[in-house]
Amino acid sequence: MNAPLSRRALMSAGAGLAAASLAGSAEARILPRDMVPLIGAGYRAVDQDEKGLWQLMERVEEEVSGSNLLIKDPQLTNYLGTLIGNVGGPAARDMRIYLARIPEFNAIMFPTGFTVVFSGLLLRMRNEAQLAGVIAHESAHFLRKHQIRQWRDMRRKTDVFSFLAMGAGVAGGAAGIYAGDLIQLAQFGTLLSLLKYNRTLEAEADAMGVRLLAEAGYDPMAMSETWQQLIGELDLSAKYRRKRRHRDFNIFETHPSPDARMADLKISAAEVRQPGKAYDAYRGRYLAAIAQLRPTLLDDQVKLNDPGASQYIVDTLAKDGWNGLLRFNEGEIWRLRNSQSKGDEARAAQGYAAAVMYPDAPPDAWRWHGIMLLKQGRSGEARAAFARYLQMAPNAPDAALVRQMMTG
Amino acid sequence: MRRVGLALLASVALTGCVQTRQYADVEFSPPQGDYKLLVMRPDVSVGSVTTGGLVEPRADWTEQARANFLVALKAQQSGRGGNVFIMDKRDSLAGVDPDTVAELERLHYAVASSIALHRYSGQYLPTKRNKGLDWTLGEDAVELGRRTGYDYALFLYAEDSFASTGRVGLQVLGIAGCFVGFCAPNIGGGGQFGYASLVDLRTGEVVWFNVAQASSQIAGIKFGDIRTAEGAAQMVDRLLDRMKPGRNVRRRERGQ
Repeated sequence: MNAPLSRRALMSAGAGLAAASLAGSAEARILPRDMVPLIGAGYRAVDQDEKGLWQLMERVEEEVSGSNLLIKDPQLTNYLGTLIGNVGGPAARDMRIYLARIPEFNAIMFPTGFTVVFSGLLLRMRNEAQLAGVIAHESAHFLRKHQIRQWRDMRRKTDVFSFLAMGAGVAGGAAGIYAGDLIQLAQFGTLLSLLKYNRTLEAEADAMGVRLLAEAGYDPMAMSETWQQLIGELDLSAKYRRKRRHRDFNIFETHPSPDARMADLKISAAEVRQPGKAYDAYRGRYLAAIAQLRPTLLDDQVKLNDPGASQYIVDTLAKDGWNGLLRFNEGEIWRLRNSQSKGDEARAAQGYAAAVMYPDAPPDAWRWHGIMLLKQGRSGEARAAFARYLQMAPNAPDAALVRQMMTG
Repeated sequence: MRRVGLALLASVALTGCVQTRQYADVEFSPPQGDYKLLVMRPDVSVGSVTTGGLVEPRADWTEQARANFLVALKAQQSGRGGNVFIMDKRDSLAGVDPDTVAELERLHYAVASSIALHRYSGQYLPTKRNKGLDWTLGEDAVELGRRTGYDYALFLYAEDSFASTGRVGLQVLGIAGCFVGFCAPNIGGGGQFGYASLVDLRTGEVVWFNVAQASSQIAGIKFGDIRTAEGAAQMVDRLLDRMKPGRNVRRRERGQ
């Protein structure tokens, strides 16, 4: 039996194939104007594969909606519902939004149109436009049917790969060539192209998100600001850990790199902005909506003990003005890291001292301010701070202890 | 040619299997007589195996299987004499709110995962050696028993999947390859898996646990089909029928 194709020839053909799929990963920006919704109001699954996915997701939503991780404050839930109503395009009335208490920057859209927003996202947003931008991005995943498209893409590629691999094996067997290497190469190519499809969908959601945001009257530039903030946070977090933010573009990434997204979002935002139209960020409305929750959001973040990220977040929020809550949390960041050699205690003391200058300083700021003063031997001032603490929080669990510190 | 045929037959015979493996509390004796059993909403799903080997959920098949599974379960339990209530929704238990039911289901899921890991997946724990089944849902389960008057709660899970035409085609190609020296006779695809877990609501302990598996490594060959009435009955039977008493109980029985 003679082999018309040598193994080497097969290998190089396969390498060419894989290279072609790699070259495609230098993606061109997706234009917001091309991003039309693929579904209308009241959409239900039509095809068999989508129906199966929806049925599965109904159980998932049942679990999510009953999870004890959810923050169920009715006012806040209502507010988030209004936001998705603003930027949800044709499906605005069909989508559901859940807020989970998880201190991370994230939001997920599920195939049936319900989204889970992490509390860490609410912490980081400076205004309503930024939050609406993320929600618009998630809505776009639903409006463009991304989950089912991704599933179909994966199914098609694994189908094709399986048949090619089996076919190559059988053909190789018939021709007396070992095809194992080639099959591995093809497998790698399949994997890479799956991830690339994922990145394309993310880029689509960004482009459409910008458009939905502008159409709802929000400043579309808010989305690129969000990414700028994320990059800054990752940088500072890495720096404090004496690491460098992983910045090289990686062919295994599922999302486009934050830098690329920020750049594309900026251009897209400029594109959808209409001259003469007024856009707003609605900062006041946003702050009022999360006012009750903000102390918890900050506390959850600070307790991650990621000082670089926490300090960046506090500084970012303080761009709109310092207050007692932010200064208090700044103190907490350094008190929790507690490095003797880096003088964290002094930094913490400064934070508390600054916090109590503001009328909105939380009771705990006075408590810690008192303790720091006591440590510095300024017992008279400490007593005054403790008195203020007890006055603000007379039923604090440690009231008796603080009273004793005042006498000692 | 004949040799290949024989080898294939052998691989078919070896790779297809129906297995059940149960564990019980050492003092467990199967419920008999006038017991009250609460069956939690069975978790049933059915999918199709794509050519590439992914399992795609199928809504219509799942509906069918859920309905047939409930019917089969009722029939199976009516033959055992107990007083049985089967929940088909989380809110179908009068006087207990669905959130409490959901909490217990999640707790059980965590405990069952632990049982799966430490009893079935080989990660044996030295502290649980020779102890039969030694897991509990604790006070929450006891509380449910107190409030509802049930003696036992049964948690059920069943999944089934079927090879798509493409998957079977791929399998045919793999077998055909054997004739030219590239043999892939068992790519697999489709099969059943399920578990049943019995909780004593008077103590909160998981007293009996059974895993049933029925799969072949040849796509297209099946050992049951829970979409049909007979297949669902067969699955219920595999999961629940041969409940063995715990070790100490068996020893005492033998001693007598």
